[in-house]
Amino acid sequence: GAGAGVGAGAGAERCPAAWLPALQLLRRGSKAVTRHWKAMHFQRQKLLALTEYLPPRPAVPPRCLPRHTPEGHQEDGYVRVLRRQVEETLRSSRMVAVCQYNSMADEDVVTLRHFLRKHNIHVKFFLNEVVRPVLAQSKYRNLLPLFVCRNILLVSPETRAREMLRVLKGVPQVNLLGACIDDTILSRQGVENFARLPPLEASQGQTVAALSLLSSQTSSLLQQGPAHLTALLDEHIRQLREAGESTEPPPGQSTAND
Amino acid sequence: KKMASKIIVVLRPVKSIVVRFCPFEPNVESTRKFLQCIYHKKIQATNTNCEVTADVRHDGSEPVVDVTFADGDRLIMKGANLTTGEMLTALASRCNAKDLKEEQKNKKKNP
Repeated sequence: GAGAGVGAGAGAERCPAAWLPALQLLRRGSKAVTRHWKAMHFQRQKLLALTEYLPPRPAVPPRCLPRHTPEGHQEDGYVRVLRRQVEETLRSSRMVAVCQYNSMADEDVVTLRHFLRKHNIHVKFFLNEVVRPVLAQSKYRNLLPLFVCRNILLVSPETRAREMLRVLKGVPQVNLLGACIDDTILSRQGVENFARLPPLEASQGQTVAALSLLSSQTSSLLQQGPAHLTALLDEHIRQLREAGESTEPPPGQSTAND
Repeated sequence: KKMASKIIVVLRPVKSIVVRFCPFEPNVESTRKFLQCIYHKKIQATNTNCEVTADVRHDGSEPVVDVTFADGDRLIMKGANLTTGEMLTALASRCNAKDLKEEQKNKKKNP
């Protein structure tokens, strides 16, 4: 009675005037709000199926349309700052070593930084995309193929290759790939040879000695003849003096007449 | 495709890995990435006895990965035309096969 009446009233609000059932059975089975999933009324199911959202599909799938290449993105201010930093670093250092960086524990990184800092070598991390354009325009053009995958730069205003190699030998995760020392691009072997060179003063002394060796040899060669002659004459005089004190010294006169 | 850094390799049957490449050549990228992935701490943690050596040359030779296993087998991978993922999956499959063989041998020994 009451349920059917309420149903008819609510039905009048929901349905349009054309379709109004005489009686609506609402209290059928369970209530509206249940603890289990309640099966939808068939009409409700039909309505929902009809009004399902179908996304619009273009006639040609978008992946078949010609794709326009992304225009050159505006240069980020941050990237510009980083590039300026790279230029500054490269300009102020005599030795630039490029190493491959495989993941290391953080404390190892700090220890490595500490030991290299003792020899005035700075460890720099740069992204490849930042460094590559800077390198392409500077004199380090030939180091470009080194900059793939993760790298670190060891820069220093001095050229202490021996200490750097010794520190890097203790760190297997950092592999030296190449370096540019005093505007000379070196491979790993080059760096090792450079480290084995004697210090500058010793090599300067060696060069001076090598250069003066020839001239000293020449002078000794030139002096050999007269020196030999002088020695022979001295010996002769001595022999004559020993032989006879009384006889006049004929060799002195005979040489004077020549 | 799976990212190369997500491939986990169990290095237990591996004795040593030598990665040889010439960094000034253009075809070394996958080999260098392989070296980077091998040095990841998870993979290093699977076998701390495994010695990974990087041999940096300048003679224009191809990039080569030389893996020596504990039972004497050797796996040589020429990385010039391989991707990192392929090299890692090849190594991982061989390591797993060797591990399985080891386990079966141990089971046979101690039933």
